[in-house]
Amino acid sequence: MVTKLAEKQQSSPSTGGKSATKWIMTLLSSSIGQKFVMGITGLLLCGFLVVHLAGNLLVYVGADAYNGYADKLHSMMLLPVAETGLFLLLFAHMALAFKLTRDNERARHISYQEPQSKIEEKPSVFSQTPMGNTSGWMFLSGSIILGFLVWHMIDMKLQLNPTVDYDGKKPYGIIVDVLGSYISAPIYIVGTIVLGFHLSHGFSSAFQSLGLNHPKYTPLIKKLAIIFALVIAVGFVSLPLWGFFIR
Amino acid sequence: MSETLDLTLKVWRQPGPDASGRYVEYKLTEISTHMSFLEMLDVLNEQLNEKGEEMVAFDHDCREGICGMCSLMINGQAHGPDSGTTTCQLHMRRFKNGDTIVVEPWRARAFPVLRDLVVDRSAFDRIIQEGGFISANTGSAPDANSVPIPAPVQETAMDAAACIGCGACVAACKNASAMLFVSAKVSHLSTLPQGKPERDSRVQSMVAQMDLEGFGNCTNTEECQAACPAEISVSNIARLNREFLRAQLCSKE
Repeated sequence: MVTKLAEKQQSSPSTGGKSATKWIMTLLSSSIGQKFVMGITGLLLCGFLVVHLAGNLLVYVGADAYNGYADKLHSMMLLPVAETGLFLLLFAHMALAFKLTRDNERARHISYQEPQSKIEEKPSVFSQTPMGNTSGWMFLSGSIILGFLVWHMIDMKLQLNPTVDYDGKKPYGIIVDVLGSYISAPIYIVGTIVLGFHLSHGFSSAFQSLGLNHPKYTPLIKKLAIIFALVIAVGFVSLPLWGFFIR
Repeated sequence: MSETLDLTLKVWRQPGPDASGRYVEYKLTEISTHMSFLEMLDVLNEQLNEKGEEMVAFDHDCREGICGMCSLMINGQAHGPDSGTTTCQLHMRRFKNGDTIVVEPWRARAFPVLRDLVVDRSAFDRIIQEGGFISANTGSAPDANSVPIPAPVQETAMDAAACIGCGACVAACKNASAMLFVSAKVSHLSTLPQGKPERDSRVQSMVAQMDLEGFGNCTNTEECQAACPAEISVSNIARLNREFLRAQLCSKE
């Protein structure tokens, strides 16, 4: 085995197109590399959430402010590119979630009778999953969020919500109708609360996956994750509650 | 005078690697609270032997908590309810009279059951063979202090080197991931000057073998850290991730 390693080290540096991309394939096919991608896509999606929430909170400023923001956003030339990028991020995050969850279920093919955690103090009730041969809380919460996003697309992108009259309405009018819809409001409330729990583990977990763990800042990141999850969840949940209230 | 316990054991019995297994109940009476968990199993085996029944197979060696040979999932917890200790150091005083104790083998595809409570942990050996060593020229020992190692680095390496390779991390992880084990070995060797020459190839080879063996992925639930008898920290897993990324980006391979 020593010679095997020595041979590996002595082998000439890779040149040429084929082997130049080989390391990327090795990285992306490895368990650790896939967790990197999971973490990076997750953090980038967190960035989107911040922008999306900031934009949507303009409904509290007034119809003009919200319509102005929406018109400006929709007139941006690069919006389709940004949207495509966003979908690709989401798709990579989801595809890897399916792949990794399937791997993990295979790795523990027989479950224990009654597995018990040995963690004495859990940082957050929902950041830890109970052990066992379940696909895990992150997969479950992610799936619920996906369902919510599908309905969100039906509402806003396809504009097919039967309880909303889209004709000739400005963005503010549509959003007020959607948020007040008795179908959408409960879905949005549940979806964004689950999103908050997903983030409470996912945000700090991403840093660990990227190798960023140190006594200096890891406790801070874990607290920040809870605060971030709370801000995002409370911010988004307030919208359908407001929509229902003014209806 | 010691107290005694009457217990019901539910033990996983499986005659061979390919045979199907099942839980079998055994009643034990007058078990001394001074006994270790393994001594309690010895008593069970003596009774089974007297009755002419097949004894329960389980792994053990030093019985001092340092060799990493004993295993056992006791009431759903790797090495039983205590933290920072192995099954051989678990004592019957931790249990109450009349308790039912479920005893299972480590469950992981990469750790197939050989018999009853004994699993094949050679996947760990193969990971070590891929890079869990240093290549050094033999000869006379170097002078003391000729290789300076700062105290914090030494502490990090020694904390990681405490890993006894028992596999409790794999057993406790909901994904049967071996990340804590591999990260301990990589951290131990790559932080010290003697391990630096093979730093990149080591992490690449060991991670490749880990994936090949069919262990799961890390989802940062930190159950491994809580179950580890050597109290290896999950900060080592972050170091493993860093080392792996660094090797991918910086090495010639």
